[in-house]
Amino acid sequence: MDRRTVLKTGLAAAGSLAMPAYLRAQSNKKISILTWNIADQEALFKEEFEEFRKANPGVEIEWLDKKGPDLPAFYQTQLVAGTAPDVIDIQGALWVEWAANGALLDLTPYFHNDPAFVKMFNPDYMSAFVYEKKNYLVPFYVAKTLLYYNKTMFKEAGLSAPPKSFDELLTFSQAMGKGEKTGFLTLNFDWLYWPLMKMNGIELLTPDFKKPAFNTAAAAELLDRLAKSTASGAINKIAWTGRWVEPNGAFAAGTVGMLQAHSASYFFVKGQGRWINPDTLGAAQAPGDWSTPTNHGFGVSKSSKNPELAFALVKHMTSVKWATRLAQIRRVLTANIEADKAGLDSVKADDPLAYAVLRTQLEHTDKMTGNWPLANDAQIKEAFWPEFQNAVLGRKDAKTALADAERAVSRVLRRA
Amino acid sequence: MSAAAMETSIKRPRFAERRSTRKAVLVWSFLAPSLLIFLLYRILPLGWNVVLSFEAWSPLKPAVFIGLENYQEMFTDDDVFWQALWNTLGIIASAPAGIAVALGLALLVNSNIRGRDVYRTLIFLSYPLMTVAVAIIWRWMFDERVGLINYVARSFHLADSPIPFLNSFTWALPCVIVANIWQMLGFYMIIILTGLQTIPANLYEAAEIDGANSFRRFLRITLPLLKPSLFLCFVIGMLNSVTSFDLIYVMTNGGPGHATEILVTYIYKLAFNQTRFDYAAAITVVFFLLLLAVTWGANRLSGGNVGAVEHD
Repeated sequence: MDRRTVLKTGLAAAGSLAMPAYLRAQSNKKISILTWNIADQEALFKEEFEEFRKANPGVEIEWLDKKGPDLPAFYQTQLVAGTAPDVIDIQGALWVEWAANGALLDLTPYFHNDPAFVKMFNPDYMSAFVYEKKNYLVPFYVAKTLLYYNKTMFKEAGLSAPPKSFDELLTFSQAMGKGEKTGFLTLNFDWLYWPLMKMNGIELLTPDFKKPAFNTAAAAELLDRLAKSTASGAINKIAWTGRWVEPNGAFAAGTVGMLQAHSASYFFVKGQGRWINPDTLGAAQAPGDWSTPTNHGFGVSKSSKNPELAFALVKHMTSVKWATRLAQIRRVLTANIEADKAGLDSVKADDPLAYAVLRTQLEHTDKMTGNWPLANDAQIKEAFWPEFQNAVLGRKDAKTALADAERAVSRVLRRA
Repeated sequence: MSAAAMETSIKRPRFAERRSTRKAVLVWSFLAPSLLIFLLYRILPLGWNVVLSFEAWSPLKPAVFIGLENYQEMFTDDDVFWQALWNTLGIIASAPAGIAVALGLALLVNSNIRGRDVYRTLIFLSYPLMTVAVAIIWRWMFDERVGLINYVARSFHLADSPIPFLNSFTWALPCVIVANIWQMLGFYMIIILTGLQTIPANLYEAAEIDGANSFRRFLRITLPLLKPSLFLCFVIGMLNSVTSFDLIYVMTNGGPGHATEILVTYIYKLAFNQTRFDYAAAITVVFFLLLLAVTWGANRLSGGNVGAVEHD
C-alpha cells in the first residue's frame, strides 16, 4: 500500500468520524416533502434539493405539491395510512389541529439545540407557531392583512389619507359608496375579517379558550353597523359572500374604495387592474394596526423515520440563502430577518408598490389577531361564520345571530 | 323399464346436476373478481362507515363508542345538516323540470325537422363535458362583472345593477340547479329519444283514425309508453344531482353561507376540513338511506321496471 493510498484512507475515515451522527446514518435515505400550492417554484426547489443532496450524500428527496383545497385532505389520508410525508408546508391554523392530535413533531428540542437558527426569524411570526408552549413549525413564507385603498376614489370623495379608526372606515366607505361604487371590502376566509372585531375590542374566546367571549353589547352594535353599511352599499356584499377571487376581482375592477386583504392579494389585484400604479393604489395598516396572518410554515411529521434529516432539510430551505432567493423570486416575505431585508431591497427599485405592500407585513407584527392556537379552529370557524354572515347580511338581527353563534361555538368547545 | 333404461334415467339427472354445478362454478368464478372488488370497495367501507357513525374518532386518536350521539347532534343540534338536506331534496325535486325540458326537445328532434341530427348533437354535447368544465363555464356565465347573463340582463334593462348570482343567498341554489339541468339535458334527451323510437307508429295511426288529436295522442300513447325511460332519467338524474359534488364545489363551494350546501359537500367539509370523520359518517348513513328511499320510491312508481324498453 503506497503512502498516497494510506493518506486517502485515513482522510476518509477521519472525515466520516467527523460527520454528524445523522449524516453517517443516512446513506440511501429518502425524505419526502409536501408543499402547498407553490409548484411554480419548481426550479428553485430543484436547486435547493440539489445542494442538500450534495451536502448529504445518499439522500433522496421526493417533492410533492398540492393545491390549496387538496392538501389537508391529502395529508390526513396519508396520516391515516401511516405514510405521511416527512416535511410538510402548512398554511393557516391547520397545524394546530395536527399538532394537538400528535401528527407533528415537537421542534422545541431542535430549537434549543440551535438558538442561532431561531434568532434568524422574526419572533412574532415565530411565536405564531407555538401550541401549548411547544414549537411546531418554522416559517416558510408569511403574509398578513393590510388595507389597500383606491387613491382615485379617495380623491373623488375628498379623502386624503386612509382611515385611522373603525368609525372613519365606515364614514369613508359611506362617502365612496355611491351608485355602482362601494367603499369597503374584506377577505373573509381564515378569520381575515377579525381585525374589524379586534379594532372594536371584541374577543372571540375567553383567555383560557374555554368559553365564547364575543356575545357582547359592543359586538351587537358593531354587527348592526356593518349590516347597515352593507345594506346601504357602503360595504360591498361580496365582503361577506365571496371567497378569494371575487373580492380581489371586485377591488381590481376599480369600483371599491378599500380592501382588507393579505399581501398575496396585491399580485392578483395588480394583474387584473390596469388602473393600478403607485399614484392610484395605497397600502396601509388597518385601523388600530390590527392584522390577521396567513402564514406558511414547515413542520415535520411525527411519523418521519428520519426526523433529524427532515429538520435539516427544513433548516436548509429556510436558511438565509434560500429564503432570500424565495423572497426575491416570489416577492414574499419569509420571516427570516436577513432574507426579508434582502428581498425588500430587491423589490424597492423594481416595484415600489409591491415594496409598500410588503413593508406593511413587517410592521406591527405584535398586533396580529385571528391566529389563536385552537385545535378545533376549523370547527369554531364554521360555527361562528354563518351567524356572523347572517347578521351582516341582514338575515338575522345582530343579537339573535350572536346568541346563535355563541350556542354553536359553545357546542364545539364542549366537544373538545 | 329395462335395467339399462333405468340406469340411463338415473345417470341423466346426475349428469345434469354435474353440468349445472359446473356451470354455477363457472359463473361464480367469473363473478368472483367483481364481487370481491365490490365487497372490498363498497360493502366493507359501508359497514365500517356505519360502525364509525356510532363512535368518536379522528385520525391518530382511538375510536370510542358513543352510541347515538352523532345522530342526536345531527337531528337536534345542527342547522347546517337540515339546510343541506333541504337543498339536496330541492335538487332532487328539480330533476323532473330538466326531464320535462328534455322531453320537449326529444319530441322536437324526433320529428322531421331539417338538420335534426345537428340539433341532437348540439343538445347532447353538454353531457360528455367534464363537470368541472361545466361548473367553470357557468361560473363565468353567472359572474357579476363579466358574466354573459348579467350583460344580457343589463343590455335589455332587466336589471339596474349587476346581480351577484353565485354570491346571493336567493340566486345561488337556482343557478347551480340550472347548470346541473343543462349538463344532464343531453343525457335525458337521448334516453327519451330512444324510448320514443320504440313506440310503434301504428298506435299513432290507429289513434288518429279514431279521431284523437296530437295532444291526446301524446297523453294517451307517448307518455304511458315512455314511463320506463322517464323514470330511468329521474333515477339517474336524481343520483347525479345529489352527488354533484364537483359542480357545487367549483361553482360555489356550498356558499354563500351554506345556501348551496348539499349533503355530499357537507360530508366532505366535515371529514376533511373539520376532521370530523365520525360525524360525517353518521350523515353519510342518513344520506345513504335517503338515496335508497328515493330510488325505491321511483322504482315503485314506475311499476318496478325502471329503464325497461316496451315492445309490442
